[in-house]
Amino acid sequence: MKARKVMAGAAIVLATALVATACGAGSKDAGATTGELAFAHNKPWNFDAFSKVSKQDIDISLKSTQYSGDPYRAFIRQSFRTKESPGLFTWEVSTALDELAEQGVIAETTDLWTEAVDKGYVTDAVRQLYTVNGKQYCTPISVDDWVMFYNKSVFTKYNLTVPTTWDQLMQVAATLKQHGVTPFWNQTKNFSFVFFQTLLAGTDLQLYNDLSTGKAKYTDPRVVAVMNTWLDLQKKGYFNDPGQTDFARDLMREGKIAMAPEGTWFTADAALAGMTMGKDVDMFVIPPVKPGAATPIAIETAPVCVGESSKQKSLGLKFSQWWMSPQGQEPWVKQQGNMPFNTDAEAPTPEMKTLKTKLATGKYEYYNRYFEATPVPIRTVALEQFSAFLTNRGEPTQYLKAIQAAADEYWAGR
Amino acid sequence: MARSGATSYQGQARGFLLPSLALVLLVFYLPVLYTFYLSFTKYNGLGTPEFVGLDNFAAMFEDSAFLDAVRNTTIWVVGTLVLPVGLGLLVAVLAYGFRGSGWLRLPFLVPYALSGVAVGVIWSFMLGSGGALTQALQFLDLPGSELRWLQDSPLNTVVMVVAAAWQGVGVNALLFTVGLQSIPKEPLEAARIDGATGWRLFTNMTWPLLRPSTTVVVGLSIVNGLKTFDIVQAMTQGGPARSSETLALTMYRDTFVNSDYGLGSAVAIFLSIVTVGASIIYLRRQLSLSSNSLGGGK
Repeated sequence: MKARKVMAGAAIVLATALVATACGAGSKDAGATTGELAFAHNKPWNFDAFSKVSKQDIDISLKSTQYSGDPYRAFIRQSFRTKESPGLFTWEVSTALDELAEQGVIAETTDLWTEAVDKGYVTDAVRQLYTVNGKQYCTPISVDDWVMFYNKSVFTKYNLTVPTTWDQLMQVAATLKQHGVTPFWNQTKNFSFVFFQTLLAGTDLQLYNDLSTGKAKYTDPRVVAVMNTWLDLQKKGYFNDPGQTDFARDLMREGKIAMAPEGTWFTADAALAGMTMGKDVDMFVIPPVKPGAATPIAIETAPVCVGESSKQKSLGLKFSQWWMSPQGQEPWVKQQGNMPFNTDAEAPTPEMKTLKTKLATGKYEYYNRYFEATPVPIRTVALEQFSAFLTNRGEPTQYLKAIQAAADEYWAGR
Repeated sequence: MARSGATSYQGQARGFLLPSLALVLLVFYLPVLYTFYLSFTKYNGLGTPEFVGLDNFAAMFEDSAFLDAVRNTTIWVVGTLVLPVGLGLLVAVLAYGFRGSGWLRLPFLVPYALSGVAVGVIWSFMLGSGGALTQALQFLDLPGSELRWLQDSPLNTVVMVVAAAWQGVGVNALLFTVGLQSIPKEPLEAARIDGATGWRLFTNMTWPLLRPSTTVVVGLSIVNGLKTFDIVQAMTQGGPARSSETLALTMYRDTFVNSDYGLGSAVAIFLSIVTVGASIIYLRRQLSLSSNSLGGGK
């Protein structure tokens, strides 16, 4: 009798617990536009400091939770199946954005974009990156350009001037090599695409774009030729050991490498390594391998998105709108030291001002960084294959074939 | 009277076990069933899973990277049996029976307190390109400094097995020591009187009497070898180009990197079947042997 009572009691407790977790509070957007916004992200940036700024400006503070690594994506995807999809979270553009938009799990931001572009806060080119099937989703935290960062002291030491053509860049590299300094930085795994993108886009930007939409194949002889150029540079000893896991900023500070193609966010990295922009380190636009009408520049953009079914949808959208405007952008780029995407907003440092002016006055064509331009299943294989190519320094065809196999599989399912 | 007391006690015992059982069912077995279901679907974490039958399993077995992962996992199982178990036994036998032997075992035990990731990071520092081992070999003018420990396959898997062995020797030595301590002294003394010494004494007397410990150690090692993840993920992430991937890493890559939950689930189910099957086969054999050797009737 006693036993039965205990078992019955336990069963009731369990049943209640199950029902409670399964149901939970209903998730309706509370409609609030001030308060504390739950923010999930996978960036190494200081959002607590930024939260103080936003609290002062629009009375919204950020409650940030940082996640790292690949499970972040799984976490966000799973959150849409619960009642707790985040009010604001960081994501990626391109196929990753398409997936969420097509499922209808993120809030549409078309109106915010129309207003922002009309007021000149952001260019139409950037809007294209956030467009899926004619509508916009998410808003940008930053739009970074990829330029060549270089150790200024090393350049001064060997009397080198900033190159403006590819031949000049190769001259600089040869001179550095002669003096025993490794010219360029490279690394396997997540950054193994960097020189592939630099060389391919600099040779034939249309081919680069066709690769990312499946119109061209990785086994195309023109791609093979670019890989052979890359192999040639490696054989000349122009790169550090790609297996080194040291940060580029530390290798540059120590003078172990002289130049590294990085996004303009690298200024924050350089500061972490104790290098001052303009004094120890500076940047120049990477000259194209084959000069054409416009110089290609890779851009990457970090979006923030709002969950469609989130209880904090209005709050998240208000914050996104503010962050995209100069009121939000200026303190942000001031904190980060990188380039604002508002053409009107002030660049935070003299070096950024110089770059901004240069980009505004010259002829440049922007392309999506390889990491974002390539669909995720292809990108995973490509990063593995590029890493193997860098490690083994051999004939590139086998690696390209493996990437193309993944590409064939992906595009066949479209 | 006595009977109702006994059943009421059993009922109470069941009642106390029920919440924990419910927790295990909810948090472990239900997800396993869900993974089993997902392995027959195509699912990317959004929307609803689409039933595709055995497609994931077919794709899995046709993928050469998967077959490499099976090969690597086999190397891990064999390596974990040879190195941590073999060396553990050696350490236990050699450091047994004399004063202060506990102190001799201690240095082997300390690495076990580290997490797999910490072990991976330490050994990456030693085995990485231009790392401590390469520099030491160059300094001492010994061969092997040109070897790329973590980049050439299957060398990278073998050196990672060594790193895992560094961690695992201690606890195996401890388990074997406990086993040695529980061996009754009389049979060994009788054997010594009969003239058995050293190697003969070990193989004919000590080793069979050590069976309970051996069962535990080998059984655990097989399972641990099959589910190797953290050390490999910390050292090479399964690379370069998936050459050092184990089945657990394949499962991780498909699920969390590629968001192909169906394929990842298929790999997980395959790995689970292999692990459970290996454990059942091994334990059945060991336990039937023990019941035979402990003498005839029940």
